Amino acid sequence: MIRIVGVLGIALLLSAACVALEPSSARAPEQTSVTFLISGDPADEEAYRTLVEHFMAEVPEIRVELLNIPGQGDFRRRLTADFAAGTPPDIFLINYRRYGPFAARDAIAPIDAFLAQSDVLRREDFYPQALAAFTWRGELMCMPQNMSSPVIYYNKDLFDAAGLPYPTNDWRWDDFVNVAQMLTRDLNGDGEIDQYGFGVEAALVRAAPFIWMNGGEIVDDPAAPTALALAEPASREALAWFVSLQNAHRVVPDAVAEAAESSLSRFLNGRLAMLMESRRVVPEFRRIEAFDWDVAPLPQGKEQASILHSDAFCIAAASPYREAAWRFVEFANTRVGQTILARSGRTIPSRIDLAQDPAFLDAQARPHNSRIFLDAIPTLRAFPALATWADIEGAVDAELKQAFYGQIALDDAIAAATMRSAEFFSRQE
Amino acid sequence: MAAPFVFGALLLVVLPAFLSFALAFVQYDALSPPTWRGIENFAVIFRREVFWIALRNTLVFAFSAAPLQALGALMIALLLHPERRGVRVHRAAVYLTSVLPDVAYALIWLWLLNPLYGPINLTLAWLGLPTPAWLVDPRTALASLVIVAAVRVGEGMLLLIAAWRTAPDSIYDAAQIDGADRLRTFWHITLPWLAPWLLLLLIRDLVMAIHSSLTPVILMTGGGPGYATTLLPFLMYEEAFTHLRLGEAAAMMVVVFALIGPPIGLAGWLTRRWWREDAA
Amino acid sequence: MQRRKTPQRASGAATAVKPMQALSAPFGSTALQRIVRLWRRKRIGRLLRHVLAWSVAALYAAPLLWLLVASLQPVGQPPPRTLAWFPQGVAWSNYLEIFRVAPLGRQIGNSLLVSVAGALITLLTASWAGFAMSRLPASSRRWLVGLALLLMLIPSSAVWLPRYVLFSGMGLLDSYAALVAPALLGTRSLLALMYYWSFHRISCEIYDSASLDGAGVWALWRRIALPLARPTTLAVAVLAFTHYWSDFVDPLLFLKSTQRFTIAVGLRMLQQMDATNWPLLMAAVVVMVAPVLVLYLLLQIILDKDASLHLRSSRLWRDAPIHLQLSAGSRTKEERR
Repeated sequence: MIRIVGVLGIALLLSAACVALEPSSARAPEQTSVTFLISGDPADEEAYRTLVEHFMAEVPEIRVELLNIPGQGDFRRRLTADFAAGTPPDIFLINYRRYGPFAARDAIAPIDAFLAQSDVLRREDFYPQALAAFTWRGELMCMPQNMSSPVIYYNKDLFDAAGLPYPTNDWRWDDFVNVAQMLTRDLNGDGEIDQYGFGVEAALVRAAPFIWMNGGEIVDDPAAPTALALAEPASREALAWFVSLQNAHRVVPDAVAEAAESSLSRFLNGRLAMLMESRRVVPEFRRIEAFDWDVAPLPQGKEQASILHSDAFCIAAASPYREAAWRFVEFANTRVGQTILARSGRTIPSRIDLAQDPAFLDAQARPHNSRIFLDAIPTLRAFPALATWADIEGAVDAELKQAFYGQIALDDAIAAATMRSAEFFSRQE
Repeated sequence: MAAPFVFGALLLVVLPAFLSFALAFVQYDALSPPTWRGIENFAVIFRREVFWIALRNTLVFAFSAAPLQALGALMIALLLHPERRGVRVHRAAVYLTSVLPDVAYALIWLWLLNPLYGPINLTLAWLGLPTPAWLVDPRTALASLVIVAAVRVGEGMLLLIAAWRTAPDSIYDAAQIDGADRLRTFWHITLPWLAPWLLLLLIRDLVMAIHSSLTPVILMTGGGPGYATTLLPFLMYEEAFTHLRLGEAAAMMVVVFALIGPPIGLAGWLTRRWWREDAA
Repeated sequence: MQRRKTPQRASGAATAVKPMQALSAPFGSTALQRIVRLWRRKRIGRLLRHVLAWSVAALYAAPLLWLLVASLQPVGQPPPRTLAWFPQGVAWSNYLEIFRVAPLGRQIGNSLLVSVAGALITLLTASWAGFAMSRLPASSRRWLVGLALLLMLIPSSAVWLPRYVLFSGMGLLDSYAALVAPALLGTRSLLALMYYWSFHRISCEIYDSASLDGAGVWALWRRIALPLARPTTLAVAVLAFTHYWSDFVDPLLFLKSTQRFTIAVGLRMLQQMDATNWPLLMAAVVVMVAPVLVLYLLLQIILDKDASLHLRSSRLWRDAPIHLQLSAGSRTKEERR
């Protein structure tokens, strides 16, 4: 019996060693295999899988292995760990707010040269705002795949039930609060709110459009930031309005309700009337059958403004297959490639010529009011490009969340965020 | 025959321990080669308020979770010590909590502590007691983590029951002749007998509380709300893998080692002392 | 209420307790004495104890029951706002759904591979180390046992950062070798010490007679030591298997390909997908927890059933931590051997 255990143990030791030594995937000799890392829910993954399959049918000599890490935080840590291990994914899809640390450390292969030599892609085909967001010290680092801005998703059935007209494209902050209040209801009279008017993540990226709409700024000098400017009157006023949605008007689930069931899940289950989200939820929302929904622009303030959301394909500088990786990135950004993703609903193309295309402005597919995404484009602004921006945003979010849920005073939150983020403005990386 | 063991110990524990000291003095982002930075890493983390918050949280967490755990283990060992019918079932119920995988344990508690739907708050509401928001409220978040850690007393319970058995009958015989009741017997005989083990258990729990806090923090709170549950291991993890500052993370690790070094030393010294006396 | 500390307790020296003197110490207030008197009435005391023991057990078992109930709740409805001991509308489909939304089957397979490999290697290394400890001359033994004790206080979670740098340098990242590596030192040094303690009790004469027959050190280990330590082997196997099955931080840091992920990381990914989808999350937790609980219960049953082993095994199983402390501290005992 013991002998069997011993032999088995040694056999397993060897097999474990074999597993360890074996390359990640068996491939045909002439085939190049590249890895492609994304972060999304199952619907996102499906959309990108379709893209990958189309590419591999078109270019059989390159195999693309799609990896998905749900959760932005986990995704970033995974990416960092991969880079640190010297085995980064050949291609990864990343938000412009998050690529700074990699760009600053020369971990991303700039794509200027690739783009210049391309027969199918031209710089002019893409929205300049998206290109600018991925330009680091004068060089285009990554190829923007999409471009959008946050909007208000609303449940039409709940509006109908309350006898309210649907939001117009020019509604203002006060209208919004009124509507949200009328949609926040205790349906069975037990003293607990069963249906909330509005759901939003308490984060700087959600509050930023309102700060800009109010004429405020997030940092002192957007071109060369040295400190947060959230304490300025215009910025503070906008933040005060934003946090009052929860801690004064109570139209947003409080911390306890949010922890019990997320706003996203409430919206999906028809118990939350309006949700501020980016374009990324559309594939999942298209599966909703229980009610009808559409999108409305953010309620307006003094000025028109919104925040840029954009993800781009980046190629790792350490990748031995940069050429093959570029061929995939190139394909993904052709009309064909971007059409595939636009059809899934996941993205708004970064190509100007596709934005008006039925693949995106499909009258049959929800949201019907998709044009508002395009209308917002001229008003889009972006966060500053800093290697330490993730630290700064993290410091602000930690405080903003507490102020939003009424756990600390707004002014204390702003003071703490300003102080804790100071070191990251001066830090050289 | 001990070669794999010794090799493994050197490679996986001793070498990494030295490596982390070395890392603490360099600037290293894992992308480019490390560069010498001297004590600047320590200066940077000491200047950072969040580091001090995390240090305070870590100390509060460890010094409340570990004593509670030891005390709980003692109480339950007291209760489940005598061999009776059904006692195996009782012990198994207590012990199984300790063998649950950390991830599963954390997720189960996340559900139990759910402020609206969680069974704990529903029970409290049913009893007419106040229902705290547990992990969601910055005032109770750390305390909730302490409770979650302190409830796992299975190993301690088994250890104490076993230690109890090693007590020679002779010391109890004397008590019986004297007609002492059970409470006094416990207080004057059993407790002193268990004291060394209790102290060792306490020190072990202290060390483990600090090190094993990473999983529950990642899964249950992400360090929030605010920084209420940011403990040093989590801060290190964030520094190293979200912000690519491995040098500063290593400096924090050195601080953690400095924290738990004295308890480990104390444990070693006490063990030696006690059993030398024991043998003498 | 004031309690006088007895000098014996303060000194901490267990054998120094002189019961007679200790019991004559003044003690407590009248309230306490009343409780003591109540305690004396054996029947009430016994009943109280019984009730208390069952309620503690129930308290500890309740979370598992709630877990099961939560995992059967239909998805999409708000969970009930009243205490539910039985799910409202049993949704067994949740258990199918989790395998659909996440590659749970594959992750379970990966976890099994890692855990079985880890456990088997651990059985070899831990028993070798324990055997060496028990056979070495006192001086080197003390050194080895000391090392093992030191390792017990530095859990692997304390050194993940430098280990990460090390594994990255060795090219071991994203391989199961990085996960199984701790098996080299017996996973936890406790396991090696458990073997040591169990081999320690085998009398020298058995070895001596075998050595006379020409058996080498490997033969002694295989033919004499291991068969006599069967309960330890069972316990170590279960402990090691559970360790790798439960391990979260190592795979989180060292694995990168999603197709290699183990179930612990898989659960985390499920949580990231939809943090408040409690029914699915709890169903996945049940799937992860079930094998561990079954293994421990099986172990208990096997050890109990084996009547001849019962006394030794149960003592061994429970006393292990004590005895390793003992073996470290008492030099005289070791030298006596």
